[in-house]
Amino acid sequence: MSFLIPCPHCGNRSVYEFRFGGEVKQRPEPEAPAADWMEYTYTKANESGVQKEWWYHRSGCRQWLQARRNTTTNEVLEAFFPQ
Amino acid sequence: MADGSRKFTFEFDGKPVEARDGDTVASALYRAGRRIFTRSFKYHRPRGLLCMAGKCPNCLVNVDGTPNVRSCVTPVRDGMQVRHQNAFPSLESDWLSGVQRFDWLMPVGWYYKTMTHEWSWHAAEPYIRKVAGLGVAPEPGKGSTDYEHEWRHAEVAVIGGGPAGLQAAFELAQGGAQVTVVDDQIELGGHRRYRKAAGGIPSQLIAELRSMPGVEIISRAYCFGLYEGNLLGIVQANPHAGAIERLIHLRAKRVVIAAGAYEVPFPFENNDLPGIMLSTAVQRLIRLHQIKPGNRAVVVANGSQGDEVTADLREAGVEVAGAITPDQVLSALGSSHVTTLRARHGEFACDLVVICGPRVPDGGLLHQAGARMAWNEERGAFLSLGLPANVSAVGEVTGAWLVPAIPLPPQDLAFHKRSFVCLCNDVSTVDLRDAIQEGFDQIETLKRYTTLTMGPCQGRMCQLSGIGVCARETGRSMGETGVTTSRPPNPSVSLGALAGPRHHPTRRTPMHYAHEESGAVWMDMGEWKRPRYYKTASSSDERASVEEEYRAVRERVGLIDVSTLGKLDVKGQDAGKLLDKVYTNRFSDLKPGRVRYSVLCDEAGIMLDDGTISRLDENHYFITTTTGNLDFVQQWLEWWLVGTGWDVHITNLTGGRAAVNLAGPKARDVLQALTACDLSTKAFPYMACREADVAEVPALLMRIGFVGETGWEIHFPAEYGEHLWKKLLDAGKLLNIRPFGVEAQRLLRLEKRHVIVGVDTDALSSPYDAGMAWVAKLDKIDFIGRNALSRLSGTTPPQSLIGFIMNEDAIPQDGAAILVNGTLAGRVTSSRYSPHQGKAVGLAWVASASAREGAEIEIRVNGGTARARIVPDAFYDPSGDRLRM
Repeated sequence: MSFLIPCPHCGNRSVYEFRFGGEVKQRPEPEAPAADWMEYTYTKANESGVQKEWWYHRSGCRQWLQARRNTTTNEVLEAFFPQ
Repeated sequence: MADGSRKFTFEFDGKPVEARDGDTVASALYRAGRRIFTRSFKYHRPRGLLCMAGKCPNCLVNVDGTPNVRSCVTPVRDGMQVRHQNAFPSLESDWLSGVQRFDWLMPVGWYYKTMTHEWSWHAAEPYIRKVAGLGVAPEPGKGSTDYEHEWRHAEVAVIGGGPAGLQAAFELAQGGAQVTVVDDQIELGGHRRYRKAAGGIPSQLIAELRSMPGVEIISRAYCFGLYEGNLLGIVQANPHAGAIERLIHLRAKRVVIAAGAYEVPFPFENNDLPGIMLSTAVQRLIRLHQIKPGNRAVVVANGSQGDEVTADLREAGVEVAGAITPDQVLSALGSSHVTTLRARHGEFACDLVVICGPRVPDGGLLHQAGARMAWNEERGAFLSLGLPANVSAVGEVTGAWLVPAIPLPPQDLAFHKRSFVCLCNDVSTVDLRDAIQEGFDQIETLKRYTTLTMGPCQGRMCQLSGIGVCARETGRSMGETGVTTSRPPNPSVSLGALAGPRHHPTRRTPMHYAHEESGAVWMDMGEWKRPRYYKTASSSDERASVEEEYRAVRERVGLIDVSTLGKLDVKGQDAGKLLDKVYTNRFSDLKPGRVRYSVLCDEAGIMLDDGTISRLDENHYFITTTTGNLDFVQQWLEWWLVGTGWDVHITNLTGGRAAVNLAGPKARDVLQALTACDLSTKAFPYMACREADVAEVPALLMRIGFVGETGWEIHFPAEYGEHLWKKLLDAGKLLNIRPFGVEAQRLLRLEKRHVIVGVDTDALSSPYDAGMAWVAKLDKIDFIGRNALSRLSGTTPPQSLIGFIMNEDAIPQDGAAILVNGTLAGRVTSSRYSPHQGKAVGLAWVASASAREGAEIEIRVNGGTARARIVPDAFYDPSGDRLRM
């Protein structure tokens, strides 16, 4: 694993500067059904292909960003600060 | 070039060897008459120089304590200490060379066939380790740490400094590109350095290249891997006098691979005897080192390379006794060196057999780049197809000029137990045939079963012949047989180079040297150094010191450095809202000047960290985290802030603030002497905080009680660390104050049953399991983990964290097993001897069904069991009165 992530603040940087933060998921409303919470808390899509992920630029700008990465090729299509 | 202008001396096995400028260790030893360089991995057969290019395993030596150094590409340095490997007592008379007489006892897959019981391997391992192998790794802590790491960037990286690489670099640089050339030899020029027929060194091209702006040349550096994102792993030998190797992480926008091709041997009986050498090795000895490689040579060749090397040999004064084609070769004779080559039409007495073997494109990096390796019948090689856009290949690595050579002797002569395919691991043609007959007839399984291509040369010498044997035995074509996957590192890399200089960062608190003066005995907590306890004149062992420190806190006053706590300053209009969302406790209703404890959970309700949060004013909070969790907590808070638009600013003050905890019944007297702040319980109650000057230092005082006595945690600017530490000790001198360490603190908190998250809890512990239900405010509409916790709140957890007091004098170890009615029912997380109880006390996870108050449990201690009883309350001051005094 040695791909680059185009940090929207710092530019192209080695993945070793980042901490992986997991898949981007929508957090359910507090009173959502238990099944939604189960899904959110315990299930991972683990997409074979492009998925949206959280990354933290630990050795750089120290900001959380989201990236769309192809999990089979490690190609990062884009990285951005979520609004 | 070895022009002899300067002479060196180094030692081989303790005896001096002369060397000339430009010599490698191997060339100097060869000139001095050495012919045996190593003993083989399994059979201890003598092995001599074969490739002279750093591609084969035959010349590995120990240099200055570093094992497995390729002597043929290692320049000589004055005073170098070189030793042989894997032979006793010497390379010439190796007692273990008798092993080869028993090779019939060692069929292919010997380990799998003989080590069929667990005990058989355990019994055999020590002997096998002594007999088989390469160099011996240095003793732990004794190996050299003179390794470096470097990170570089290039627009274009050219791998290979031969004619093609140099030409490519030149043209790219002329076009304005910034180019880095990586070459594994001592000098640039590739095969033109030693092949007179190829036109000699392109000196003018090299000189021009060196003078061009934007061109960098890294010599004596081999590339062992091409990783994602065009990251090249490169090891440079002896980058300067103080370093053995430098690992270069080179990131390039574009990679041009000009790794060239190398010559490989082919199998016949005794093809591994010293004196049997590849033609390019012979040319290197003659042209690069002015060495006459032998007296009487036989040239085995199939094409023009034979004529070329014959001319070189004659020029060097070597008699060429014969020239034959590979299919004529029957076997070589000799015990420790070749003396005769037997051919179909006669025998040749000789001391040098020159093999003009097939040339193999060095395509490992192309394979790693994602190319498919396909057999090309016309070229007699596996060539790359489908390179990615930013990787290209030039020169011989493309196979463009290859002419196929015969990689294998005829069928009737091919098989002999001493006809070696793999020199690294002593794998013969017979071994391969047997393995194929046993069913390992796919190249990838054949590789794993026989260890073909798995030695130090990583298949460079044996891959082509191995595939050839497999193809012929299975009746498939070379293309159908295919090639094994090339993975980095290829070639092999020393662990020292990968590990690097082994720098270990250490963090010291601002009071570090004051602790040292007080006799601190250190312990590591992550990167931090913390006093475990203090050695004093009256107590020199740990137990006595800890007890003295304990008594000081319980009876008088003690002072501990807690600067390693994570400290976060949280400001903004929405600070309380964020803390309410992330922590389980409630903070938006906390009054300024008050402190509250909380834990932090994930969405599954598992406790991640704990700490205190002080509200300094309406929009300003101060958080402490546990020492190791600071980064995590800060990132966690910031993560939950993303996208909210809330007005919150989080600043890490950990390095900027020192912190101490002053605790004990006399703590107030000590602190009051240094501050104007009213410390009376009425003005400054338990769980309150105040900003005030202490010894003229602006400080934040928090009245909290981790150790269970009246006390203040004092946070203040780090630059005053030593000043305030000493002022507090001075102020407490008459009261017999003592600094205390982590061990006493752990005992004091354990008596209070204060949990340490991560020590007493694990990745399955919720506040309910840990008996801390009060910390989860389920009446908040939402917080991280609320959903999971609300479902857990009404249920009985499978395990509960309980407190126990021993009935006997035994002290369980942390982690000891707990038995109920003879069956395993839990484990101890923390246990210490409690001076207050007069017995050991502790915390433990116990199956909830057995966790009844007053119930008896058994704990494994020193191989036996000891009895304890479960108690509901803290072991010391359960009502907490002493905290509020």
